[in-house]
Formats: sequence, structure tokens, C-alpha cells
Amino acid sequence: MQNISRIYALSKRNIILRYKNSIAGFFWGFFKPLLYLLIFIVVFSRQFSTIDNYVLYATSGLVFWFFFANVTNQSIASIISSSGIIKSLNVPVVFFPLSELIGELFNLFLSLLVFSTAMYWFGLNYSPRLFMVIPAVFLFGTFSLGLTLILCSLNVFFRDVGILWTTVQPALFYLTPIAYPESLISGKYNLVIKCNPIYYFIKLARSIFYEPAMPPLSLWMKCLAIAVVMLSVGYFVFNRLKNQFIAAI
Amino acid sequence: MGNDTLIEFDDVTVSFWQNNVGIHSIKDLVTQRKNPFSNKTILKDISFSVKRGECMGVLGRNGSGKSTLLRTIAGLIKPQKGKMTINGTFAPILAISAGLELELSGYENMELLLALYGKRRKDTDAIQSIVSFSELSDEVLRMPTKRYSSGMLARLTFSISVANDADILIIDEVLAVGDQGFQNKCMDKIMQVRNEGKTILFVSHFPDDVAKICDTAILLENGEIAHRGTALDMCEHYKQLF
Repeated sequence: MQNISRIYALSKRNIILRYKNSIAGFFWGFFKPLLYLLIFIVVFSRQFSTIDNYVLYATSGLVFWFFFANVTNQSIASIISSSGIIKSLNVPVVFFPLSELIGELFNLFLSLLVFSTAMYWFGLNYSPRLFMVIPAVFLFGTFSLGLTLILCSLNVFFRDVGILWTTVQPALFYLTPIAYPESLISGKYNLVIKCNPIYYFIKLARSIFYEPAMPPLSLWMKCLAIAVVMLSVGYFVFNRLKNQFIAAI
Repeated sequence: MGNDTLIEFDDVTVSFWQNNVGIHSIKDLVTQRKNPFSNKTILKDISFSVKRGECMGVLGRNGSGKSTLLRTIAGLIKPQKGKMTINGTFAPILAISAGLELELSGYENMELLLALYGKRRKDTDAIQSIVSFSELSDEVLRMPTKRYSSGMLARLTFSISVANDADILIIDEVLAVGDQGFQNKCMDKIMQVRNEGKTILFVSHFPDDVAKICDTAILLENGEIAHRGTALDMCEHYKQLF
């Protein structure tokens, strides 16, 4: 109970800090996907005319992608930037990346509200199955937390992990079929897509918002497995390193 | 161990990985191809105990391991070796601007730190006592703390720490920056906390303060306890260092 209120306080701090001194505040959270969406529509939609309802196709991937990108970008420095608290209060260090995740979940919730309302004009089919987005977000959040734990703990010792991550991210973005149809990358390069864990979560989101059929159980299972493995690896790395943080920040 | 022993250290050793000279990036790691970290011992075989209601001073040169010792006691650092027994709760370590988020206002910081400490977030009594003790105006407390002077920061951190009715108060050289009035007030508060039977661990470079507040003291030198004894004796030892 005490820990819940601690995580709550830290998450609240993150949200306040992020939009402090900005006028548009949380609106920036969906300006970014919106801008990308506009670029996609202008550049790609005629190119990929095989995709019907391109706007909905791209949006469902973009909203999930930006959730992932924001979680990792925000958390990567979460330990370094909280050095004052870590050096004076006995708070479990894992709360810092965790609270960044929760702040981003809040943002995702707002983005989903806005976009699912806007998508009414683009033929989003309102049905109870949209609520499947909750377990899907839970799995994607678990995966993101796992990756974040690795990134933020390594970043304590080597600050270039953060720089490296912002460099690698666009590549990862274009390796994931968000703007283009999956079928575009075929043949031997298909393996590149299949090895990208984010692909499965984007596919899951898309099957909830875009596809006519329910997401197959096998896809849920794959996402669950990826999320559990990522979190375990992340937690293992984090646990091995956490006692050294205080001397390095 | 008796019930009245609050802190007991038995041969506690603390060491950290230390970044070897010049390796701060992955590029260096690849080009220089040596282990970037070596183990550096900060505290060596520290043994002492503090009884309930005892006030212990920690003296020593800069870099002798005082802050590391305090952080180990507070549970922020896990020792590599030795046994450590703690029977109480801690107020946040008092160091200048410790734990304050400089972008947040004074009020937001209070709320955050109280919650992290484990109090209810909207503990109005606690907030009230922080406000009145710090003597900072409402206008100041609404300002981001990055605009505070170091004395104002000290007022805020000190007030937040003493608002937590913890068993053990840890003070790490915080009194030096407040103005004379606030220093006296802090001293009075420390004496009051002391008279309430709480335990205080006190680090300072002013032997007179240590002699005034503490019963016993230890003198650290290069991570080891060089001397221990009554606060008065240790202050003499400390003065002889220079």
C-alpha cells in the first residue's frame, strides 16, 4: 500500500515535470503521432493503395509505437536524474523506471481516447472487442519495462547507451511495418521483421483496431512469451547492477 | 542483542566498482580492451553500535567515507561483507537539497518526499509543520526550488526531514548554509529531538557542534575507524588532524 502511493507520487511528478513550462501540455503527446500520420497519408497512402483504410491502418500502429518510444526515451535517464532521491531515501530503485511507464500509460490512455474518437470518421468499428486493447497494452507495457530496465541500468555506467538508443530507434521504427504493409518485405528479408519483437505487438494492436477478425490466440501467446522473457532478462540485469548505481550517479 | 541497540555494525565492508581512468564510453571500452571497472573499498571492517537515544558524531577528512557510512546505515548501500542490524526507521538523510526536485515547487516537493517516505500524501499536519518550521512564505513555497538560495534549500530539506517522526535522524553537514537565526533554530530542534529520546547520527566539520550534540563519536580515516570514544575526546583528535 505504501509502495503504491510512492509509485503514484513519482508518476505524478513525472507527468508534472514533463509538461512544466509548456503551454500545449499533454497535447504534444498526440501531436507527434498526428504529424507522422499526416506525413504518412501524404507520402505513402497512394503508394500502398492495396491497404484499404490506410489512415486507420497507420494510426493503430503509430499510437502503439509512440507509446513504446516514449517509455524507453523517458526512462533511460530515470535513474541518473533521480540521483538526489536515490542518495537520500531508501526507495526501491526499480520504482523510477516503473513510474515513467505509468506516466506513459496515462498518456497512452488519453491518446487512445482522442484517436479512437477521431477514427469514427475513418470507419473504426466500435464493438466490445476494442477493450482487448487493455490486455494488449499490459503485454506491451511489460515488454517495454523489461527493455527499459536494461537500457536505464546500463546507461548509469555508460551514458552512450542513451545516445545509441535514440540513434537506433528510427531504424527500428522503419523495420516495423507501421507505415507500410507487411507484405512489402518478403522473401529472405521477411526474417528481419519476424525477429523484431515489436512487430508482434503492433500486429496485435492492429488486429484489435483494424482487422475484421479477432486476434488469434497464437498471436496473444507469442506476445505473452516475448513480454515475459523481456521482463525477466531486464529484471535480471537490473538486479545485478542496482547495488552499484549509487556510486555511479 | 538487546532491544535498546538500534544500529549494530559488525565488520562491515563497502566497496564499489570504480570506473578506471579514461573509460567513460563504449568506444573507450572497445579500443582499450580492459575491464573498465575495478573494485574500490570505501569502508573497511567497520564495527560499532548505537543505542536507542544515543547521539553519535562522525568526524573525518573529506573523502574519508562519512557519507558512504551514513548511506550504508540508512540502507541505501548494501555492504559487501559483514553483518548489519537496524531496529528503527529513518528520516531522509539530511544533506543540502537532498532529494529535492529542482523543477518542482516547495509544496510539490513536500508532497513527493512525504509520499516517498511513506506518509500519506496529503498529510496536512506534516505539511503545516514543515511550512511553519521552514519560515518560508507561501509565495516562496509556490516557486520552483531551483530559484531558492542554498539557505532556503537547507530550510526546506531540514524541515521536511524533522517532520517525519522517525527513530533515527541522519544529518550530513547541513547546518553550515542557513543564516544565523535558522542555524540556532535547527540546533534547538536537534536538541529537542535528542531530548525526546530519538537517535541522531551527525556529520559535521565543526567539532564544537559535534561536542554539543553528540555523546559519542567515531573518527574515520581512509574508510576505517581510526578512533572512537566520547564526543569531546574525538573532537580533540579531529583538531589534531590539521
